[in-house]
Amino acid sequence: MLVAPGKGGPRLVALNRAARQSGLVADDLLSNARSKVLDLQVYAADPAADAAALDRLALWAMRYAPLAAPWDEASGADGLFIDITGAAHLLGGEARLLADLERRLRTFGLAPRLAIAGTPGAAWALARFGNARDHQRRQAPGPILAPGAEAEALRPLPLAALRLPDATLSLLRRLGLRRIGDVMEQPRAPLAARFEALLLRLDQALGRVPEPLVPAMPPPVYRAQAAFVEPIVSLEQVLEAATRLLGSLVDNLASDAVGARSLRLMLFRVMPEACFQHDGRVQSVEIGLAAPSRDATHIARLIGLRLERAADVLDADFGFEAAALHVLVAEPLADRQVRLTMDETTRPPEALPQLIDRLQQRLGPAAVRRLQPYESHIPERAQSPSPFELKRGEGRRVPSPLVGEGQGGGESPTSKLVVPPTPNPSPQGGGESAQRMSQWIADTPRPLLLLPRPESAEVVALIPEGPPRQFRWRGVRHQIVHADGPERIAPEWWRQSPDHAERDYYTVEDSAGRRFWLYRAGRYGRGEAPPQWFIHGVFG
Amino acid sequence: MRCLPNFDAAQARQAAFPRERLQERLAALRKAVEGLPMARVVERPEAQADAAAPLQGRLQGADWGLPAELPCGALNEVVAGHADRPAAFGFLFTLMVLGLDNGLDRGHAGFGLRAGPAVLVAARRALSDFGEPYGHGLAQLGLDVGRLILVETRTDKDALWAIEETLRSGARPAMVAGALAGGLDLTSSRRLNLAAAPQRTPLVLLSGAGAAGTSAAAARWRIAAAPAARDSFGALAAPRWHVALERCRLGNRRGRLMNRPMNLPGAWLIEWNHVAHRFRVVAGLAGCLADRPPAADAGLLRAG
Repeated sequence: MLVAPGKGGPRLVALNRAARQSGLVADDLLSNARSKVLDLQVYAADPAADAAALDRLALWAMRYAPLAAPWDEASGADGLFIDITGAAHLLGGEARLLADLERRLRTFGLAPRLAIAGTPGAAWALARFGNARDHQRRQAPGPILAPGAEAEALRPLPLAALRLPDATLSLLRRLGLRRIGDVMEQPRAPLAARFEALLLRLDQALGRVPEPLVPAMPPPVYRAQAAFVEPIVSLEQVLEAATRLLGSLVDNLASDAVGARSLRLMLFRVMPEACFQHDGRVQSVEIGLAAPSRDATHIARLIGLRLERAADVLDADFGFEAAALHVLVAEPLADRQVRLTMDETTRPPEALPQLIDRLQQRLGPAAVRRLQPYESHIPERAQSPSPFELKRGEGRRVPSPLVGEGQGGGESPTSKLVVPPTPNPSPQGGGESAQRMSQWIADTPRPLLLLPRPESAEVVALIPEGPPRQFRWRGVRHQIVHADGPERIAPEWWRQSPDHAERDYYTVEDSAGRRFWLYRAGRYGRGEAPPQWFIHGVFG
Repeated sequence: MRCLPNFDAAQARQAAFPRERLQERLAALRKAVEGLPMARVVERPEAQADAAAPLQGRLQGADWGLPAELPCGALNEVVAGHADRPAAFGFLFTLMVLGLDNGLDRGHAGFGLRAGPAVLVAARRALSDFGEPYGHGLAQLGLDVGRLILVETRTDKDALWAIEETLRSGARPAMVAGALAGGLDLTSSRRLNLAAAPQRTPLVLLSGAGAAGTSAAAARWRIAAAPAARDSFGALAAPRWHVALERCRLGNRRGRLMNRPMNLPGAWLIEWNHVAHRFRVVAGLAGCLADRPPAADAGLLRAG
């Protein structure tokens, strides 16, 4: 049995069958239980671990259908929904699916209670409160409700099957309503005034009100899955399987004129018996692309690079028995005509995004960056670390105008024809980056390399507020031959920042010709401590 | 290494097709194409720029202001003592400025005729000592920061992989630069030479302080800091560097083959003009390393 601290001491939370047969009930005090039964095995309940295990189980259950949702708190948080719409026939019908699910869950050491119904509410009620013995007689793992039969099936069940809080249940009991059928026969209006939740749950169970599920993982847009006869172990085999899955997806993507922006490869591990506690039944890697693509060789290469990077995290254990490839985000991608003049000097537009993809998969998504100016006077904030984004004309395919059809004549091709938008090779790189250039600070000197955080330096100055004459940084003494400045940068009063001192920046050059960016934090005579000096950057 | 990665393909082509026959053949082909009912081929400015790029074998003296050549399509190694790393970064970034500059509004043939981006691959440890590239400072050097792609890797090995991947991809970057924390060995420098050759991508690699060993780099530039130029008010105006061309294998051989003046080792004190995107030689051999020999640098290193 499991216990958790409660009112008046530890209370029982969950019991196994033996404990229930000895007359113990949940929510009893542990001390009472001990007085009833002598040899108790007591363990502390761990709700977080339970929730994590349920999530893992939900991920695993995605082998049956793309949407699996663990039960939320109101449902008891001890089970999960699988949306098998359109997926049951893949396993030979609902009964076979249920049997397969039960067999596999039993090998995990679980005692599942299963039901299939048209609504999550009805399935929950049947799984929890359905007559289990009835189904055992029919050799079925659980009830399968025909569509539209929810009302009849729910009628004899207790009201607790509607996932209601205890307070509501006890109130209803006092009113003499015990079964769902009792509530169904009552007029709605008086009930609605007092028990809004009750009617909502009833309507959800009967399918009158939709009940959206919160999936364990967002369901994919496109999905391909394969089960293997023999478990696969090596990286090459996984890659081979992923490539085959990809091949089956690419045709679908092409027929819908979309390309994948984000993909997920899920690998389902073989689980020997009694390994339920073992972590990570499903291993998944996600792959993001800089531009939509349905180029099978390119995506396969990315998966390879990604798997290489994740090689020490991936653990095949006894091998993978199934793999699924999901397209999570798809974006429109029109077919493009291959240019007649394609030779080694032209740049295919998808080359740059594909290069970025490869770099990001191998080195991590944050490894590829652009530098972006940010509107701030504080030097370390004035440049934002922005993740890489493609700019217009860098491989995002722009629908190009159909040009020059039947326009005969001997003019040179460029004179008449529309030129599709391409980056303008002016020195500033076109309008967009010219705007960006205007945001870079040009009137006051800025260093070439900025230290991640200012480093303190011992500075000698002739007069307190004057320019530095000598400084010592990282154990080396630098004699300053020239100092430009100061440039005063005040703290941003609208932001909560740890240091509120204004900074006086100097550009200094030492006797060896090296240039540094130094600042003095604060002014003399303001506080007790004299101002500190820091090195903030170096010039080239 | 016997092979010459960018031995002039154009020259070889000309030997096979004399110019007159080439013109004839082109005219015939044009005629044949005009008769065909087909959509017109759109000439993009980008493609034109790219087509011109292979003709540029190297950055010549007049193009950048140094009396030496910067070979393209082969590895250029930039080395500096530890304390001079910032200066070497400065030189590296000025080369990137030149690589991105197509010189259209400056009235001279630019070096970077390609429209692609410039890629800087840096190992994390190469940036840990003096910090990360700062966009405001780069822009003040004349760099179009919007066209710069920064790739930061955990190790030197990853950085070399990323550089090679970039060179071999079809993305045709205008310039590839790298910064390593450690040195460069013979094998990896050969790989880079081979990767850079087919597209003649300008490639400059800043290697760490330990880099004095063997490498197959076509040119090695040693950089040291120098006092900046002053304006008329005595303030710091333009950055200057001591540059020594220590080796120029390919340039030398090319010079002899093409019957041109050879790219000789030399040392100069140069000044960068961030508006004209040109270097200016302030002092030649005599004035350069004489006033601050490299030995002084080593002494500083020990002290640090």
